[in-house]
Amino acid sequence: MTNLSLADLAGYLRQLGEGALITLELFFASFALAFVLGVLIGVATLARSRVIRAAWRVYASIFMGVPSLLVIFLIFYGGSAMLAAVLGEFGARIDISPFGAGVAALGIVYSAYVAELVRGAIENLPKGQFEGARALAIPPFIMWGRVILPQVMRLALPGLVNVWSFMLKETPLVSLAGLQDLVAATKIAAGATKEPFIFFVATALVFIAFSAASLWLANRLEVRLDRGQRRAPVRSPAQAEA
Amino acid sequence: MIPRPHAAEPAAEPAILLAQVVKRYGAHRALAGVDLQVRRGEKLVICGPSGSGKSTLIRCINALERHDAGRIVVNGIALTNDEGTVQDIRQEVGMVFQHFNLFPHLTALENCMLAPRLNRGLSKAQAEKLALAHLERVHLADQARKYPARLSGGQQQRVAIARALCMEPRILLFDEPTSALDPEMVKEVLGVIEELAASGVTMICVTHEMGFARRVADRCVFMDRGEIVEEGDAARFFEAPESERLRHFLAQILR
Ligand SMILES: Nc1ncnc2c1ncn2[C@@H]1O[C@H](COP(=O)(O)OP(=O)(O)OP(=O)(O)O)[C@@H](O)[C@H]1O
Ligand SMILES: [Mg+2]
Repeated sequence: MTNLSLADLAGYLRQLGEGALITLELFFASFALAFVLGVLIGVATLARSRVIRAAWRVYASIFMGVPSLLVIFLIFYGGSAMLAAVLGEFGARIDISPFGAGVAALGIVYSAYVAELVRGAIENLPKGQFEGARALAIPPFIMWGRVILPQVMRLALPGLVNVWSFMLKETPLVSLAGLQDLVAATKIAAGATKEPFIFFVATALVFIAFSAASLWLANRLEVRLDRGQRRAPVRSPAQAEA
Repeated sequence: MIPRPHAAEPAAEPAILLAQVVKRYGAHRALAGVDLQVRRGEKLVICGPSGSGKSTLIRCINALERHDAGRIVVNGIALTNDEGTVQDIRQEVGMVFQHFNLFPHLTALENCMLAPRLNRGLSKAQAEKLALAHLERVHLADQARKYPARLSGGQQQRVAIARALCMEPRILLFDEPTSALDPEMVKEVLGVIEELAASGVTMICVTHEMGFARRVADRCVFMDRGEIVEEGDAARFFEAPESERLRHFLAQILR
């Protein structure tokens, strides 16, 4: 069926493995950036300031409206010029790698989605949660960290899992800026061996496996965050007292 | 306040002093110049029709709402816009809400431990000991490891009371602590509050539980449309109301 020698196969598999590693690194770095930025922006947009609200609307409409690929190209090809404009002489000497551009672009684009989720979840929390914390003289920073955000994460988890899955599927876009990721490596192997079917299916399976592992993890996390949310089975007050 | 380290009669200084306090929501005056003094150790019950400003009044005392005019002094600390002052006052004042406001992702014990660990610098073991002691006081030591959703409404409110007690406040504010409860749970919560009342803490309780008011209150205050209309000791307050508005109100709730 195939004229692929074992030695060649091993070579291509090594390349695919390296590509997969780069894809994962890109994914985790950009998800982390999207998450941190998104939470900060989501909390900030709740401020009553009109300037902040207007800035948020502009940010959201840009990054939810413009294709991710365009943002990647903009940062990869235009990033040096932008940095030069902001940082002057020093910025002009910073070279932007495909990896860096990919992390920045995916991180920023998806931070808008994370911010939207976080914002919605915070608005759905009862106001009493904030008041309970304030009445106990819990300082704002700790109130967010210990009282509000843990509940927000529980409410936003299904949405965050979606963002996670979408982001994973968007990572191959960065190969168009020259990143040697899993899909780029697959393309090379498929072209060189004239066995596109085997290699593309194998790569698809890698994505499916990762996705399945993520869902399993998300379920475990959901159980953990749901601690305390299940209502007690109905019992009479007398039994409840006992 | 002028510092008076050797004040002759510290007990004479009121626990809470409100002078001409005004709170506006837009054009609406929720508090229309309220004067009120609460002595140390005094138990005060506030009642009045819905929207009369009862919640607004007690929420101004611990700065959950900021008053627009007038003066509020709590345990000798004048309430200003300064964040530090606000935190100082909140350390002195415990609050219990109508809807408990327990943190659902923390157990009863963890709910009680959070603030003392942060604000009083207690170790985990010290905070746990303190929290268990106060849960014991509200008869819930055996439920300490449960999450709020696994407790009945009455139990949740008692946890909320224990949580407030863990800050060892000298003043306790209750905003309709039993009005979100099923009737059969009202008694256990009022019972706990009555036990606390015997401990010498200063207490303001917004409630329409007249039996409770008669047993516990040193003084009752009737509010209507952002003003204190009438006040007096519990017996006179209920049996011989002076103002038409209070008579009308009592007729409605006792109907
Ligand atoms: N956040 C707010 N924004 C606008 N108006 C408010 C706000 N909070 C309270 N009010 C208004 O202020 C007035 C006093 O409200 P408050 O909650 O103090 O009344 P209450 O006596 O506690 O009533 P209830 O018995 O229903 O709890 C009401 O007219 C209410 O509509
Ligand atoms: Mg109220």
